[in-house]
Amino acid sequence: MTKYIINRLLGIIPTLLIIITLSFFIVRIAPGGPFATERNMPEVIKRNIEAKYHLDEPLLKQYGRYMFDVLRGDLGPSFKYKDYDVNYLIFTSLPKSIVLGLWAMAIALTFGMSAGIIAAVKQNSWIDYLSMGVAVIGISIPLFVIAPVLQLFFAMKHKWLPTSGWYTTGEGWKSVILPAVSLSFAYFADIARLTRSSMLETLRSDYIRTAKAKGMKSSTIIFKHAMKGAMLPVVSYLGPAFAGIITGSIVVEQIFRVPGLGKFFVQSSFNRDYTLIVGVVIVYSVILIIMNFIVDLIYAQLDPRITYK
Amino acid sequence: MNLTLKKHEESAINEFDQVVVGNSLTKDAWRRLKKNKMAVIGMIVVIVYSLLAAFAMFLPIYPYDQIILDHRHLPPTLTKNAGTLMMEARLKDLYFKAWKGGSLIVTEQQSAKIKTWIAANETNKVWDFCIKEGERQKQAGTFTFSAADQRTIDRLQEKIDTEFLIDVDKMFYTDGETHKKHNLAKMDWEEIMVIYADLLGVEAAIIEEQVQEEVRTQVLNNYKASTPDLSDAEYAANLDLELQTLGEKGIASIAKTNLLGKIKTSITRSAERELKKEISEGTASFPIDRSIKINEFLDAEITATKKHDRRYYLGTDYSGRDMLSRIIYGGQVSIAIGLIGSLTSVLIGIILGAIAGYVGGKVDFILMRIVDIMYGLPYMLLVIIFMAIFGRNIMNLFVALAMVSWLTVARMVRGQIMSLKNSEYVEAARSMGASTGRIIFRHMVPNSLSVIIVYSTLRVPAFIMQESFLSFLGLGVQAPFASWGSLVGDAINGMTLYPWKLIFPAIAMTIFLFAMNFFGDGLRDAFDPQSKNQL
Repeated sequence: MTKYIINRLLGIIPTLLIIITLSFFIVRIAPGGPFATERNMPEVIKRNIEAKYHLDEPLLKQYGRYMFDVLRGDLGPSFKYKDYDVNYLIFTSLPKSIVLGLWAMAIALTFGMSAGIIAAVKQNSWIDYLSMGVAVIGISIPLFVIAPVLQLFFAMKHKWLPTSGWYTTGEGWKSVILPAVSLSFAYFADIARLTRSSMLETLRSDYIRTAKAKGMKSSTIIFKHAMKGAMLPVVSYLGPAFAGIITGSIVVEQIFRVPGLGKFFVQSSFNRDYTLIVGVVIVYSVILIIMNFIVDLIYAQLDPRITYK
Repeated sequence: MNLTLKKHEESAINEFDQVVVGNSLTKDAWRRLKKNKMAVIGMIVVIVYSLLAAFAMFLPIYPYDQIILDHRHLPPTLTKNAGTLMMEARLKDLYFKAWKGGSLIVTEQQSAKIKTWIAANETNKVWDFCIKEGERQKQAGTFTFSAADQRTIDRLQEKIDTEFLIDVDKMFYTDGETHKKHNLAKMDWEEIMVIYADLLGVEAAIIEEQVQEEVRTQVLNNYKASTPDLSDAEYAANLDLELQTLGEKGIASIAKTNLLGKIKTSITRSAERELKKEISEGTASFPIDRSIKINEFLDAEITATKKHDRRYYLGTDYSGRDMLSRIIYGGQVSIAIGLIGSLTSVLIGIILGAIAGYVGGKVDFILMRIVDIMYGLPYMLLVIIFMAIFGRNIMNLFVALAMVSWLTVARMVRGQIMSLKNSEYVEAARSMGASTGRIIFRHMVPNSLSVIIVYSTLRVPAFIMQESFLSFLGLGVQAPFASWGSLVGDAINGMTLYPWKLIFPAIAMTIFLFAMNFFGDGLRDAFDPQSKNQL
């Protein structure tokens, strides 16, 4: 197991290298640059600015310099938010995105799994149809439709919840509800459907029948015996779900004006803020890779048939 | 055993003497699909949407890109025309001002109610109340508009009654010598240029120079729109390249469109003069459909309709474009991207997956490593960067999405091919000397096609969602074109005041995605009954 963990951690390095290289070159081989839009800039000033950010050097030298900086944990200065380091921008905005993402994941998992389990145990009852109906809606409605509709209904029409903002803007935890719920909706739906189908399969298996024959309480059977097996597909789904939540948070942060990392990402892509773009991509990738790693470990813990070497 | 029984081609007899009809996989799947009610409904909805999108240009709807600024933000209606709505909006405003100015007198309670609405930002409620109360008082005779307000109303009413729109349908040129009529749209641009020069009474050479300059500007502007953020010197350098790629034919067609547009404008102008005269004489009755003569060799067929008689069943957007036709044309873009995009990604996936599965060894290892690494990437982020930096046009959108969405297909096809690799018929084909390519693409791929088709049906909604996601962020389809995502994105600002701009495209999109999901699920269950109830 320890060997497996070390192997996996080592495997992260080439993946990260590829990500950094890919995003570094995508942003730089495109025509134009971060300072091309500033009109009427005298040639001398432009050259000086480019020299300051080492943009006048050959591309490979820039790449080497950047890689060296990244290895030391320095993501460089931002080109557009002058006087700010990418590190600073990321570390002030990242916690908000993480809180939002974790809330969304928690909501999706809690409600998705409970809905799935109830639907499976009470198969073909009204509660089954209801939760699966909601799940189909969740799969079919895109995030950027559900978010404004929820905002329109709960915040603007009935004023039950704040329309936008974050903890810091005075509304406290209430401002997290709408963005987190809209972000979690699609994953709630997927998790509910997955849980239901795998739970149904598990409930029909032999060892559950044996447990029933022994006269166990049905709650014990469901929570102690069936749950563990039924969780497996859900756990393996968590990896893609995290990736989706990361991209989804870009939209949610825009709609609910959350001052998180996603906002920076879209803006920096438009601005050609080279260092900020690559920095954000690195941070997102690291989060994603770590999450995938944790998911794999949980999977191994749940399923004794899997041994990692 | 009854030896006299002949073996029929399609039927056989089983041990109970019953006729057994052979059934192909597709037939069997179709039978199962037909039993699934939701899947059939989904299929019908998908077909209806596709037909609407495909034949959008033949539908009796307004052009999706026609901007009428007078018709901005008109609410959806089934009964009222644009003029009535414009008047209503104006009246709401005037009654509100009258209430504020103190000339529209309401009770204390009502006044307090209005104030709480204003405090709560409920603009629509305030307006609705003001117009209701104002109209009631005006009927009762207790309220009259001030002279200035009344003048505004009268002027708007006159505008609504008299303004019209002219469409030039066809333009004809009559040859002076042969007296033959030519359709202008079918002539060469040089000929049209001479006609236009004649119309203006100037030398053809001047016009030619002007047209060439215009073509350059237009090409440059298009290029600027698709690749923003270059310096002027870089644009100038790229312009010649762009013109070269267009070729003589491309340039000629741009020049022709420009010239036709100019002639159309001047015809419209003279038609306008004629119609205005008729209106002031009171002889005009709309809609008008006639042919008018510009001079001795040029005449045109025009239709004129009253501008404010239009009906917008789903309202209008921020620049007065019809939402109904924007949703339909937006659906055209979204569905086309969904279909073509998933086809492209499936094709890439089939080719790479088949190669990896059949060849195996190092090729397989490298390809699958790439797939693994790309799976771990937040690839939508890379797509966003790609779109933001390489320009926002539909072509780039295809490339960016197709680049990252072949992964699952490749894995699936690889698995299928590997399981088929050692089957007898492949061995037979190999022993007969069939080439690798032939074995893969003529024998193995068709055998796994049902799985692939089912998967690509499930891909279409995902593709549409991704495209809409990018368009929503402003990175996809650009105005005047529309897609469902960009329509929703445009509607986010001001959605309390103009909720219809958000609701209708959202509903249209959701219904389609619903139907597509049900249809896809049904297809999967039909082709592979064992997977029932799986996600």
